Amino acid sequence: MNIAVLIKMVPDTESKLEVNDGKLSDQNFKYMVNPYDEFAVEQAVQFKEAEGGKVTLLTLFSEDNSIDTDLRKMLAIGADEIIALRQNEYKGDKPLANAKILSDAIKELDVDLILCGIQGIDYYQAATGTMVAQMLDIPNISGVTKLEYNNGTLKAKRQIEGGLQTIETSTPALITCQKDMNKVRFPALKDIMMSKRKPFTNKTVESVESNDIKTSESSLPPARDGGEIIEGETAEEKVNKLIEKLKMEAKVI
Amino acid sequence: MTPFHDYFGISWYIYLLIWSFIAVGAHVYQVGFIVKLIRLGKDDDRFNSWKQRMKEFLTDWLGQRKVVEDKVAGYAHALIFWGFLMLVSDVIDLGTGGLFAEFLGMIFLDNIWNLIVDIGYLMAGVGILAALYRRLIIRPEKLKGTSMEGVLILFAIFGIVITAFIVEAGYMLGEGAHYNNWEPIGVLFAKQMQNIDSATLQTIVDISYWAHMILIGGFLIEIPQTKHSHLIGTIPNVMFQDHDEMGTMTPMQVDENDIAVKTDDLDFEKLTLGVNKFEDFTWRQLSDGWACTACARCQDVCPAYNSGKTLNPMQIIMDVKNYGKEHGNLLLAGEAPDETIVDRFTPDAIWACTTCYACVSACPVHIEHVPKLTDTRRHLVMEASVFPEELQNLFNNLERNSNPWGIGAHKRADWAEGLDIKIGEPAEYLFYVGCAGSFDERNKNVSRATAKLLKKAGVDFSILGEMEMCNGDPARRAGNEFLFQMMAEMNVDSMNSLGTLKVITACPHCFHTIGKEYEKYGGKYEVYHHSQVLNELRQKEKLKIKNFEDKVTFHDPCYLGRIGGETEAPREAIGGDLIEMERSREKSFCCGGGGAQIWMEEDADKRVNEIRAKEAVNTGADCVAVGCPFCMTMMSDGLKTLGEEQKTVKDISEIMLENLEV
Repeated sequence: MNIAVLIKMVPDTESKLEVNDGKLSDQNFKYMVNPYDEFAVEQAVQFKEAEGGKVTLLTLFSEDNSIDTDLRKMLAIGADEIIALRQNEYKGDKPLANAKILSDAIKELDVDLILCGIQGIDYYQAATGTMVAQMLDIPNISGVTKLEYNNGTLKAKRQIEGGLQTIETSTPALITCQKDMNKVRFPALKDIMMSKRKPFTNKTVESVESNDIKTSESSLPPARDGGEIIEGETAEEKVNKLIEKLKMEAKVI
Repeated sequence: MTPFHDYFGISWYIYLLIWSFIAVGAHVYQVGFIVKLIRLGKDDDRFNSWKQRMKEFLTDWLGQRKVVEDKVAGYAHALIFWGFLMLVSDVIDLGTGGLFAEFLGMIFLDNIWNLIVDIGYLMAGVGILAALYRRLIIRPEKLKGTSMEGVLILFAIFGIVITAFIVEAGYMLGEGAHYNNWEPIGVLFAKQMQNIDSATLQTIVDISYWAHMILIGGFLIEIPQTKHSHLIGTIPNVMFQDHDEMGTMTPMQVDENDIAVKTDDLDFEKLTLGVNKFEDFTWRQLSDGWACTACARCQDVCPAYNSGKTLNPMQIIMDVKNYGKEHGNLLLAGEAPDETIVDRFTPDAIWACTTCYACVSACPVHIEHVPKLTDTRRHLVMEASVFPEELQNLFNNLERNSNPWGIGAHKRADWAEGLDIKIGEPAEYLFYVGCAGSFDERNKNVSRATAKLLKKAGVDFSILGEMEMCNGDPARRAGNEFLFQMMAEMNVDSMNSLGTLKVITACPHCFHTIGKEYEKYGGKYEVYHHSQVLNELRQKEKLKIKNFEDKVTFHDPCYLGRIGGETEAPREAIGGDLIEMERSREKSFCCGGGGAQIWMEEDADKRVNEIRAKEAVNTGADCVAVGCPFCMTMMSDGLKTLGEEQKTVKDISEIMLENLEV
């Protein structure tokens, strides 16, 4: 079974966020593989180990940032190849345009299954994967927490409010992966070293015309007040003061 | 009257020859088997510094330097040991029917030799009685549940001693014989035996002689099979003891100058990553197994064992030997047993070690327990990829943000805000803050206190700021040697680019790793613990610190005291009348945080820090002084669990700053 995994490179969660004039500055960002996409890679590798075939990672990213180190880790855990589409004007918040480029690239690959994370942790739009499925005209199951494959049929479990839904579909299909779908393995050193020899292709792609959405303004959440630490000699005294405050100042009890 | 006559018409000598052939043959065969097993180990070139090695051999082996640290067992052992060394040549005499003494008589050495042997037997006898008294009457806790092997052997060698005196006395009795005053104990025995009729006496002497020879032969056969293999095993162990600084780990691969091969140039075809097979150990690690005497001193001081975890350092050493013995034939045939070394040690035990080195430091025969555990960790992390889940976060965080918490690397110098500290500029000292001092709220205060004191004293220093990374200690002790090396290489680049020569750090793990381990990665610096620098400033009166009244006890961090060799500077830096805990200085008990333990889950009922916090509480001190960010966390948590949160935990620098005369 040949599988393609779509990977989004997102700013490290600990990156410094700076907003100037309503625009997010990406100056000091370090990029990492979107954690939801890591579940997709792990799942793809598990399928490959069971069924044979090949796992191709496909990512779309700007040309000026280095992403090799973090992406190669995905090769170390078992993917076979990386195709990195590099685009000058790449932005993470343009799902329609990005989905077009990605789906065009997938058409050139011969794959039975496409996996990706449910959403990118940069903008949380949960749109690109589903859009790619639409453009390829293949079935899509999103937010899958458990995925099984048997003889051309995929069985997916999704957690829905108050219950569990099981969906079946034939391949090819596109699945977006929810967290806790699996435990992403830690590569052995030998695999890390081997990953350096696996193919990593950078391809420049042109931007495409699209009637895409646009971020008009970004802002940081308002700074929180310092809060108040209740002083007191004993725990009892502190609790009494707290109750008093909850009654009189916060008026919640 | 001698036992050297015919028995059942056949000369005594024939019996002795047959028995010697059996005993010596069995001994040599078994020792040969062990030697072959040990030689399966990898190379470890310790055949250097012969002068130092001879000196160490004379003091540690012959002189029993560390053995006698345990007063009762130690001196009992030393008496038996020295006694047997003095008497061992008597076997030759008894084996040749007295020809050896006659030979010595020709060069006028027989009398002095007789005296030495006699005293040897006496010393051994006294030592054996003391040891029996300890095993049967005192019965220390750690001996409960052990086999009777020790007692039986003591009785057996006591038999060797007594029978020797009886045979000696026999020489002095009978026709034409006289008391030989060069054998005073023999004379005492002879006086007791002089009224026995000669036929009975002959029987007693004959029985004693053969009992003596049978016991000695039996002992020869037994030595390689039991813990008595230490009689031989300790010789290479003590002679080829580790000359590297305590606690320094070995790189994955070194070049001909003993410098680590860069991560980019590592030859993975040739590399064994850690230990999983018997032959992955070095010969010297394997020889530990046969040097162990099961004295359990390592067990007594092990924080993991004492907090109820699966790890017992003594068992690890036993495991090496027993594994070798049980699978010996397969191993020598070059085949791999189903059970691996990791299986034998068990992962639970492997992951419980705090790398505090108390076991290594307590061992009288220089057994190296900790590297066996860190080497198996290397295998588990870098080859098998099976390790505690929490460590995966640790490794990812170290890789991405170069600190164990994964906090944004750009926040590393936030603690220094408003203090007007040079960042990334050349200065006399580099203040290597470390991760805890940079990111942990409580420990940031320590960094601030240290920086304020240094500034107050006019010390020229800078910090690396965002360029600083974790020194790599948690990755290294947790088996991720590759990650450690990448971090070490990057840190060395940063520090060298700044022209760093002298480093100050408030973290003993940075102190150890940068000071003693970076050299193999191209970084040679003078590294000081902040207490050393601050104490010097205090002694030179560049910092005037009041003596304070508070009752303070100081908890020695393992990587500063026992491993780092610095126990006085922190005490002098704090000043005042410190109350010492029962275990302090080199014998300090770990807080439980080292060896990457602080990043792993610890069962609530098996916490090392509670044991240590209790020891601190027992001193009656109001404040526990620490010199390590992890001790800070562990001791604070420990006191909280004990309900002693009114007691404070403070770093040396904080106490100094509080008592600074303005």
